[in-house]
Amino acid sequence: MEEYRIGVYICWCGTNIAMMVDVEAVVEEIKKLPNVTIAKDYKYMCSDPGQDLIVKDIKEHHLNRIVVAACSPRMHEPTFRKALENAGLNPYFFEMANIREQVSWVHTDRIEATRKAKGLVAGAVKRVVHHKALNKRYVDIHPATLIIGAGVAGMSAALEIADSGQKVHLVEQCNQLGGMVRKVDLNYPYLNSSRQTISQLIKNTEEHPDIQIYTESKIDKISGYIGNFRALLSNHQEQRELEFGNILIATGLKSFDPSIIENYGYKRIPNVITSADFEKMLYSGLIHCENGKEPGNIAIIHCVGSRNENYHPYCSRTCCMTALKYINQISSAAPECNIYDIYADMRAIGKDCEELYASTSKKNVMFLMFDQQHDLPVIKQNGNGKTVSIEFTELLSGESIHIQANMVVLMTAVESQANNKEIAHLAGISTDKNGFFIEKHPKLDPVATTTEGVYIAGTCQSPKDIPDSIVQAKAAAARILATIAKGKVQVEVTTAQVNEDICCGCQCCASVCPYSAISYNEDKKVSEVNEILCKGCGTCASACPSGAIVSKHFTDNQILSQITGVLEMQIETA
Amino acid sequence: MENLVNPKLRDELKKFGVQDWEGCYHCGQCTANCPLTEQGQLFPRKDIRSMQMGLKKTLAGSLEPWLCYYCGDCSKECPRNANPGEMMMALRRYLTSVYDWTGISKLIYNSKIAEFALIFIIAALVLILSIIYSQVPDRSLWITPEGGVAINQFFPVEYVHFGDMVMFVLLAGLLISNIVNMYFKVIVNQGIKVHFINYFTEFWALIWNFISQKKFSKCDSKPYWYVHLFLVTAYVTLFVMVVAFLTWFQTDTIYAWYHPQRILGYYATLGLFAGTLYFIYQRSRKTKENSKHSHYTDWTFIVLLFLSTLSGILVHVFRINGMALATYYIYIAHLMILTPMLMIEVPFSKWSHLAYRPFAIYFARLKKAAENKQKEANMEATYKLKESIA
Amino acid sequence: MNYKPTIIGFLCNWCSYTGADLAGTSRQKYEDKIRIIRVMCSGRIEPTFVLDAFRKGADGILICGCHPGDCHYHEGNYKCLRRFHLLQKYTQQMGIEKERLRLEWISASEGKEFAELVDEMSEKIASLGKCMVKETLDTYR
Ligand code: SF4
Ligand code: SF4
Ligand code: SF4
Ligand code: SF4
Ligand code: SF4
Ligand code: FES
Repeated sequence: MEEYRIGVYICWCGTNIAMMVDVEAVVEEIKKLPNVTIAKDYKYMCSDPGQDLIVKDIKEHHLNRIVVAACSPRMHEPTFRKALENAGLNPYFFEMANIREQVSWVHTDRIEATRKAKGLVAGAVKRVVHHKALNKRYVDIHPATLIIGAGVAGMSAALEIADSGQKVHLVEQCNQLGGMVRKVDLNYPYLNSSRQTISQLIKNTEEHPDIQIYTESKIDKISGYIGNFRALLSNHQEQRELEFGNILIATGLKSFDPSIIENYGYKRIPNVITSADFEKMLYSGLIHCENGKEPGNIAIIHCVGSRNENYHPYCSRTCCMTALKYINQISSAAPECNIYDIYADMRAIGKDCEELYASTSKKNVMFLMFDQQHDLPVIKQNGNGKTVSIEFTELLSGESIHIQANMVVLMTAVESQANNKEIAHLAGISTDKNGFFIEKHPKLDPVATTTEGVYIAGTCQSPKDIPDSIVQAKAAAARILATIAKGKVQVEVTTAQVNEDICCGCQCCASVCPYSAISYNEDKKVSEVNEILCKGCGTCASACPSGAIVSKHFTDNQILSQITGVLEMQIETA
Repeated sequence: MENLVNPKLRDELKKFGVQDWEGCYHCGQCTANCPLTEQGQLFPRKDIRSMQMGLKKTLAGSLEPWLCYYCGDCSKECPRNANPGEMMMALRRYLTSVYDWTGISKLIYNSKIAEFALIFIIAALVLILSIIYSQVPDRSLWITPEGGVAINQFFPVEYVHFGDMVMFVLLAGLLISNIVNMYFKVIVNQGIKVHFINYFTEFWALIWNFISQKKFSKCDSKPYWYVHLFLVTAYVTLFVMVVAFLTWFQTDTIYAWYHPQRILGYYATLGLFAGTLYFIYQRSRKTKENSKHSHYTDWTFIVLLFLSTLSGILVHVFRINGMALATYYIYIAHLMILTPMLMIEVPFSKWSHLAYRPFAIYFARLKKAAENKQKEANMEATYKLKESIA
Repeated sequence: MNYKPTIIGFLCNWCSYTGADLAGTSRQKYEDKIRIIRVMCSGRIEPTFVLDAFRKGADGILICGCHPGDCHYHEGNYKCLRRFHLLQKYTQQMGIEKERLRLEWISASEGKEFAELVDEMSEKIASLGKCMVKETLDTYR
């Protein structure tokens, strides 16, 4: 039998772990466990010296299993696996215990936290002896890319990819390219023409030989995996199949309908309009009330449907600056017009936006603050039919006030597309509680998703402005081009495998596999897993009545030993 | 309509000396620095907000500007250089015009020409009256046995005293009516119910404050306060002597230097002279917060006060030294400066602050007393409610 | 001495484990009785794991997966749910209180919800006291 020589490393993570976990006590306890050859603690395991420590110990002490107790494996498992590889050890002879995100950062009792850390490390030590060497597998990357959504983000990414000579399939559900930006007159903060920018982008996209555009089309099905996706695409007339290696989702977002906000009386009170309506007016070049007259008093209300638990909890991100843009546009079109800007907080994020705020406040505008959570303004129609009165408590003065206005512009929120869930399901990614797609990591990887080969960009991930959307789109394009340049990509190795000696051929496994990766071999009368299709969820392993399926790296043995390790240590240290 | 936001008020307020509208972004730094801030009294940010929003009624009912003594701490710390202290000053000018029902105050504040015209008209009137009522006596009577000038021969003290009295009644009438107007604006129109007895109990505070200008001493800037106190006491002394006791003050007999008449006279004169000089110096140097910004009315006031003092001193000097003609001319000049100054400043401009400030304190106390009463009543009601439930 | 119960958590990698990590990154404090074991999908959780954990002395078991429809592998959580009902009937028959075995959906963004869930469950388990499965089986051995 193989002799196990385990090296265990407990990380301080500076003070992040060490302040709540007695790292040295954990080392002492773990040293007592069977098969543990060495146990050490170190300030920063993920640093280069930390990794070198592992490499050196593997060589010196002939270690064949490594356990690191540090942050979440979702963070640094790949880092340490690489260290093992560098030392000539199979990277799967490795296990991590999460004592930062799930211990030191969430607990407050140092003794208990230390006890918990001991348990988690013991579980990892017990588990790691059952680890098997797994070998990396690669598949070829199909060089084409599918981009869903042809707004600024989708088009920018498409051009980026196509300009380096790769094929792009650009799918758009509308009959035109351009998305939300097409409907906008001027851009903030420089008040330059949006039309020009977007029409140039559309022209370049349409004329590009490597971009295949499918308007009024939708995706019915996506199958496959990174490097080798297939999709069914349909429009009114036909259905076709596309092949590609990567997917970029850039489906954008839509406007919120404020008519459900009782206080504002949208659609009920004349001259109460949305920012989209107002944008149309600006686009046509004439600001006018319903009776055709130029308004002498315009009120702009911010955060309509945003930042309020009853509608959307998030900030829609662009409406504050859009409101400032309106103020500038109104004061140049109608200098005599009194503008009331009813805001909750002025969010001037982005280059030159604060400057826009400063210069706008010199215009004929009065900024009035309201409580967007608890006390929305009430708009009432006046008897004369020409004006409306707006009543609310102004926060900076604490006074209940009235405003008389001829027109009210509601800075309506933006919200996720209604079919995001569907798209998420097709692509195997997830949406958050507001319907926006979830990125792989909110800080470290805001472009990729949890599914390899699927990227997101633009406002389908969260509300953002044009430059930010383009930044994300180009970042995604760069990531996709990198995989295409490599030509190959590593695929899941922790797949399922059928032990043919035990399999009774019941096909329970095949019935639960979401990827149809299991087929029945008529000759051998057993089931077989297609390891290219299998994504390693392990559902079949749990379903198999004979215990014939091994879910690699998550085998029964491994998990049961982990349970044993955790609980034994628990009882010992009690 | 009540509390209607009014963007037009800003233009109006500009004329009273508000310079930078957009400056204040309501960080609250000034409120934190103001020595007068208490719960419910947010100096000076709240008034700045009301000004920005054009809330006429709220402004008219605000007492804070009168409680503020322009220590300037707020302006020093304002990150936006929005000059909150000067905003309060401008608000005092505005409020003076709001309380004044005649509209003269507004006229003075809004138009330099109107102010100067008014000064000249009154001065001319005084000149005419002087010409009519002065009686140049025989040369022999010009000089008193002590060697001084017999001023009462030239200008019988009864006449001047009569003129004084007329002016006094006029000024008092105007000022009182303005204060009554203020009372309506800050108490009645704001719907504050004051208990009858409180009108008396809170009165002592008014008296005491008028004497000591106490609130001011809270400000950090002590020397400023002493100069101000000196100036105010000097002014009051002289005002009382000239207006109420002129017959005692303006005598032909020259008393010994230690006689109370002369001592008081010197004290008052010195106070006014030094005080006005000090303020002229500060205003032109513009280093201290409260002297950095001057509305033209501030200059008119200080210059008129200085000139009256100067001419008063000259009258005295010429008189003691027996320079009869010079005394007579300068006496008329003195009256020509003094009268318009009092007529304009007391009911319509800067000196009216002297009356509004203590009354503001009085009204503020009334307000507080009313609030406390209301609180008590509320508590009692809750208590009763609880009892009835139990 | 106060008995310190132990809860074993089986969390799927994509939603729930990420959600628990989020609780950490956002410094949400919660009860320290839980020990988390990571699986790729809640569909991987076998009844054996649960029974084994009780057998070895766990006082409570919390299974977490993605919200219905959000499973990274589309439907692993549905498979898990089906098994769970059966399993809970079984453990109840063995005399294990229903509250000791729970299945909850936690998404990658629900760090706070996860923390609250652990607190709530810890409180419940503490009030139920020690789970006697291990003792009983040990005496019969
Ligand atoms: S950008 Fe401004 S208006 Fe829009 S939701 Fe955010 S805070 Fe509200
Ligand atoms: S469930 Fe198990 S026994 Fe049945 S076919 Fe699949 S591997 Fe074979
Ligand atoms: S592990 Fe999941 S994907 Fe792979 S064969 Fe089994 S059920 Fe299918
Ligand atoms: S006046 Fe200046 S210090 Fe006062 S709130 Fe405004 S910006 Fe702040
Ligand atoms: S000048 Fe002084 S008293 Fe007046 S508001 Fe400013 S800090 Fe307060
Ligand atoms: S991946 Fe979370 S339940 Fe399947």
